Amino acid sequence: MDTTVTLLAGSSRRLVAELRDALDSCAERQRQLERSLRVSRRLLRAWEPAETLAPEPTPGPETNEEAPSAACIPSPQDLKELELLTQALEKAVRVRKGISNAGEGNKAPSLKSGSIATSPATRASAPPSTSHRAGSRASETKPPRGIRQTRVPTKDLPERRLLSVGDQACMGQGAGATKPKSGLRNEQIVLSAASQAPEAFTLKDKGILLQLPEAFRKAASRNSRLWAQLSSTQTSDSVDAATTAKTQFLQKMQTTSGWPGPRLSATEVEAEVRHLQTACLLLRLRMGEELTADPKDWMQEYRCLLTLEELQAIVGQCLHGLRELCTVVEQQLGPWPEGRFPRASLPCGGGADPIWSPQLLLYSSTQELQTLAALRLRVAMLHQQIHLEKVLMAELLPLVCKQEPLGPPWLALCRAVHSLLCEGGQRFLTILREDKPAD
Amino acid sequence: MGRRRRRRRVDPADATRALPEAIAALSQTLPAGPSPETFRRAKFDRPEAAPALWRLLFRVLSPQLADGASASFSPEAQVRSVKLALRTQGYPRRALAQLPDDGSQGGRELLLALAWLLARGPLPERLLTQNRVQLGDEMPVCECEALASPGPPTPSVEADGCVDIRHLQWLMGKLRFRWRNLMASQQEQCALLGKIHSYTRGCHSDRSLGHLSVTETELLRDPEGGRQLLRRLERENARLQAALEWRRRELVFWWWMDTVLGACPPEASQPTFLPRIPTPGTGALEPLVQELQALQGELREAVEARRAAWEAGVGGRGPEWSAARTALREAVGQDLAALRQACERGGSCSLAQPHGPHRLVRTEAGAPGGPGLRAPEVIEALRSQEARLEVVLRQLQGQCRQELARLVGAPPGPVWILPPGR
Repeated sequence: MDTTVTLLAGSSRRLVAELRDALDSCAERQRQLERSLRVSRRLLRAWEPAETLAPEPTPGPETNEEAPSAACIPSPQDLKELELLTQALEKAVRVRKGISNAGEGNKAPSLKSGSIATSPATRASAPPSTSHRAGSRASETKPPRGIRQTRVPTKDLPERRLLSVGDQACMGQGAGATKPKSGLRNEQIVLSAASQAPEAFTLKDKGILLQLPEAFRKAASRNSRLWAQLSSTQTSDSVDAATTAKTQFLQKMQTTSGWPGPRLSATEVEAEVRHLQTACLLLRLRMGEELTADPKDWMQEYRCLLTLEELQAIVGQCLHGLRELCTVVEQQLGPWPEGRFPRASLPCGGGADPIWSPQLLLYSSTQELQTLAALRLRVAMLHQQIHLEKVLMAELLPLVCKQEPLGPPWLALCRAVHSLLCEGGQRFLTILREDKPAD
Repeated sequence: MGRRRRRRRVDPADATRALPEAIAALSQTLPAGPSPETFRRAKFDRPEAAPALWRLLFRVLSPQLADGASASFSPEAQVRSVKLALRTQGYPRRALAQLPDDGSQGGRELLLALAWLLARGPLPERLLTQNRVQLGDEMPVCECEALASPGPPTPSVEADGCVDIRHLQWLMGKLRFRWRNLMASQQEQCALLGKIHSYTRGCHSDRSLGHLSVTETELLRDPEGGRQLLRRLERENARLQAALEWRRRELVFWWWMDTVLGACPPEASQPTFLPRIPTPGTGALEPLVQELQALQGELREAVEARRAAWEAGVGGRGPEWSAARTALREAVGQDLAALRQACERGGSCSLAQPHGPHRLVRTEAGAPGGPGLRAPEVIEALRSQEARLEVVLRQLQGQCRQELARLVGAPPGPVWILPPGR
């Protein structure tokens, strides 16, 4: 039987609205995540040279100028020299691999001699995979500013000389090049050269060389200092005097206005409603703990009983406060607002001492971070599921009561409602019905 | 000014200088702050001061709007929005509501409104926090922000009519799917963050941070974006500095506001007609009442059952019983003191866990580290929260199962075969 189970218009509107709202909030989170993912993925790929990169002035001896600014065609002799260089580098890398157990994985450069023949005029197209280093291409890749400002450690100095062999041959630059020397004999030089071959910049390989620009560093440290000062100016004598003055001002405002005004503003009513909703959840959580606890002796049993009684008393008080709130609200006219008010966002936790800037959260492994994030989402999801469960209960259970029992539509409704309410919509039960013998 | 002259609190010469400085600081820390001259004109209710103050109040009361977005609101729309927001928050003076919508009048009243907002809470700090420049990779460790979201707007009368329950099932399935996607994306983002943090270790000038964040790395990759970030940072620094100035000097502002209030003609005491403002009607409070009543009912059942079991039971007799009972009662009272306080009117329901956004910092395992939350602690807190919430969910589902079983009735009826247990 395939009966369409329709719902009453009123309850369906509310249910659909709630579910759509849940879907929307999920979609919003997804959008934000996607934005962050795009940025992060792009950072982990090889970095494209910036389009509007202004030509650098002749750098001092500190900087490691790799990028040629002009295209040039290598002569055959240059190519041969580069070929030798490449082979030497390959050998060095093999040796290095044997010496150190590079845990990073694929250290073997894709130094293909074939790529050297590529015209240097071609831009290095960034390889999509971040785990391979770009092959040593005699092509122009302007490294980003961050590298330029790097103070190159002294061990790298020898390799500049090495590179200048190839540099002079092909790249045509004089700055930063000292006496050309084939330091091929020195393996150490070669080893460091292997990591400095002109190629696209990847965070994985050269991330530790980055350095923030000076102006930014200054501004950022000033920023954190100012935020810290702002948080700490909460208590002092002048603050107390100001607080008194403010309270007096508010009182005067109230008394000079001819109109007594609402006893509670709409914002306050909303805040109180949210507060009571949270209180309800807290009480329910605690009740859940007590009901699932397994008392081992009579003391624990009695304690459980007392706790539940105490919870009952607290709920009673909440209800009393809520009823008072209803009375106050009744005195004000007006329907439930269509739009949403711009609400003043309070620092969460309702702390008396709000800390205005974020604190640190230290983690030690990616696994830990993933667990934390997953748990956070899980808690959010559970909050949402509980809310939806309450809404569904309120709207669907009365329906089951109303319909004519034991008819086929009612059975279908029961099955659907059971699935939604008791199994989160994931599982369905089977209904066996004994058919009357056909007559 | 001689160095020997001590600064006295009420010194006219100082005050005349101090007031414009205080107002200048205030104006600099607020978005779209007008000049001190505008404030002075507003005290005397000069019409030219009004538009600037309407704009200021609009920006202050709708901080969620981006910097340029307020331009898309017409002046009339801004005026109406300001009026609504102030009345929603309970602004006590009627005169504001009576100001014309074209925004041409009302300088003094607007000045009073601004002062009222400033007096009620740390407004400049709140505004700065909301639009803060985020330099680190931040993750909130609580769900307060999501829980505070207002929920769906009341559905207007639609022509949709009735809805098939299968549509609801479909929506639930879609929701589940979206959550799964979200979880997967989140895991990927964490993996990427972990990589970026470890690849840039040792790069940060601030030793306690150690490595770069995505924002910082991005500014190195994209110099133009970096320049914009720097400009935003510098603007924020200026506003922060102004906020600190304001806090130092605000006392003189409050003395001045007293005189402004005194300059107002007293309001007539008979209430004039005011347009209705939307207030949460009792209809909106109904679900909450039902929820609390349901909870009360469940507790009552549980208590009755246990009390009956207790009375019929063996334990709890004898002379030492009353002493033990008192001790237990006290213990339970203490146990629940925090909960009781949280549920009281005006109490804070912080759920006793860490709060707020935190900047992620990757450290070596086992390193002592500096100040800050440790991930294992947060994980613990979240795990216990998760467990408690799951209990609540199972409880609610169990209730439904019982209720449905009752409604279906005893056999002879159809036989229910429940799906296999988890």
